[in-house]
Amino acid sequence: MIDNPVGEFASAGELPGNYRCKESAMKPVNESMSSRQHQFEALVRGHSTDLYRYAYWLCGQDALAKDLVQDTFLRAWRALDKLREVGAVKAWLITILRREHARLFERKAMPSDDIDDFDLPDPQATPKHRTEESVLRQAMAKLEPKYREPLVLQVLGGFTCAEIAEQLGLGEAAVMTQLFRARQKLKGQLGFENHSAEVSEL
Amino acid sequence: MNCLEFRRRLGSEPNGTLAEFVAHREECARCASAQAAADAFEERIRAALRVPAPANLADRILLAQTTESRQAVRNRKRGVGALMLATAASILIAVIATRYQPDDMPVLAGLVIDHVHKHVVSAVDAEYPIPKQAVMAAFADRGVKLASVPDGVNYIQECPAGRYKSLHMVMPERDGPVTVVYVVDKPSTRTTDFNQDGLRGREVPVGAGSLVMLAKDDEGFDLIESQWKQAINEKVATVEADMIKTRPAGGAFLSHGLRSSVAAP
Repeated sequence: MIDNPVGEFASAGELPGNYRCKESAMKPVNESMSSRQHQFEALVRGHSTDLYRYAYWLCGQDALAKDLVQDTFLRAWRALDKLREVGAVKAWLITILRREHARLFERKAMPSDDIDDFDLPDPQATPKHRTEESVLRQAMAKLEPKYREPLVLQVLGGFTCAEIAEQLGLGEAAVMTQLFRARQKLKGQLGFENHSAEVSEL
Repeated sequence: MNCLEFRRRLGSEPNGTLAEFVAHREECARCASAQAAADAFEERIRAALRVPAPANLADRILLAQTTESRQAVRNRKRGVGALMLATAASILIAVIATRYQPDDMPVLAGLVIDHVHKHVVSAVDAEYPIPKQAVMAAFADRGVKLASVPDGVNYIQECPAGRYKSLHMVMPERDGPVTVVYVVDKPSTRTTDFNQDGLRGREVPVGAGSLVMLAKDDEGFDLIESQWKQAINEKVATVEADMIKTRPAGGAFLSHGLRSSVAAP
């Protein structure tokens, strides 16, 4: 005879959640997931655009940049519990993205330091109708990665030289030199007359 | 800071806030003018670097993430991912459930097997012994007061076994882990051993419920059975003794006492 038939376990009782059946612990698990999900969504909506732009200037391809950003966020999702400082989130994401990018090039044995076919967003821009932005983008695309990357981190990411040095594993002085030269080279490509004389004239 | 140092820093960090840098700019008109030109150039670079991002980028990422998460949950439920870490006990349950033949085992054991097939316990979750107080608390929550707790309960959760209440445990033994499920509110009529594809099972009436054990080898069953009978029946015996001491004439208390170890749900 069945004296006390029960269906699914819905009552909470006093038992610690760790010792409850996963089937009956769906509510707390969902609540926890929801909070984590909200945090992740805020992260994606707050940083995906910046991260895409960084990825784009890193790899030069729109489709690849999208994949890199997606892979970066998927890794970030899996490691979200490790995130302790909200202020460090951008640097954390950039670090993940750089690693993803390195893995990609390891897997595909692609040359990462010479991107000839930069997939510029305004390819229709003819010499007549070139905007200043498109000219500058072409100049950026021609920069060597060692100059382009710190510049992107500084201008788009808002990182200091010290932070960039940490990201790239370089000395701060080396980063400052690269940033200086990056700007000089850009000005040279843009035909600024006195770009090389700015310092030497002093 | 002199003009040369200022210009070098201006070329590498135009938005720098170094005190000497700012102070020189305020003192030197030519460098202040260079700073204004540098700021304008920075703004042009910034505008150029801001390539248009795909409009649905965030949604695409969130879709990939939720899809991955849901897939992971589905895999966990099916035991696909968890089987990588599953204990031998969990694996054997899956095998039994897959080849389950109702005629070979008691109905209650079948219900238990159905449950543990869905609820795969990972090796990680059954790595260390559960504190005895927690085991007692789990049984108390199911209305069963234990007189003692057998050693080596490495996992325990309140779980359903069909329509019945149970406690799902894993006890590591010398020959491999044993899945032990105590169904608190459905007593078996007799002890039944069953064998399925070389895997062993036993259903035993214990207290007011039933103990179901499943393992690759049944060598540990006798010891586990006696341990749990002692843990559960001792209390009943104590209650019974107390009642005998205090009962007036008549014998209606014995059966009541036996059932008193299980509370109503």
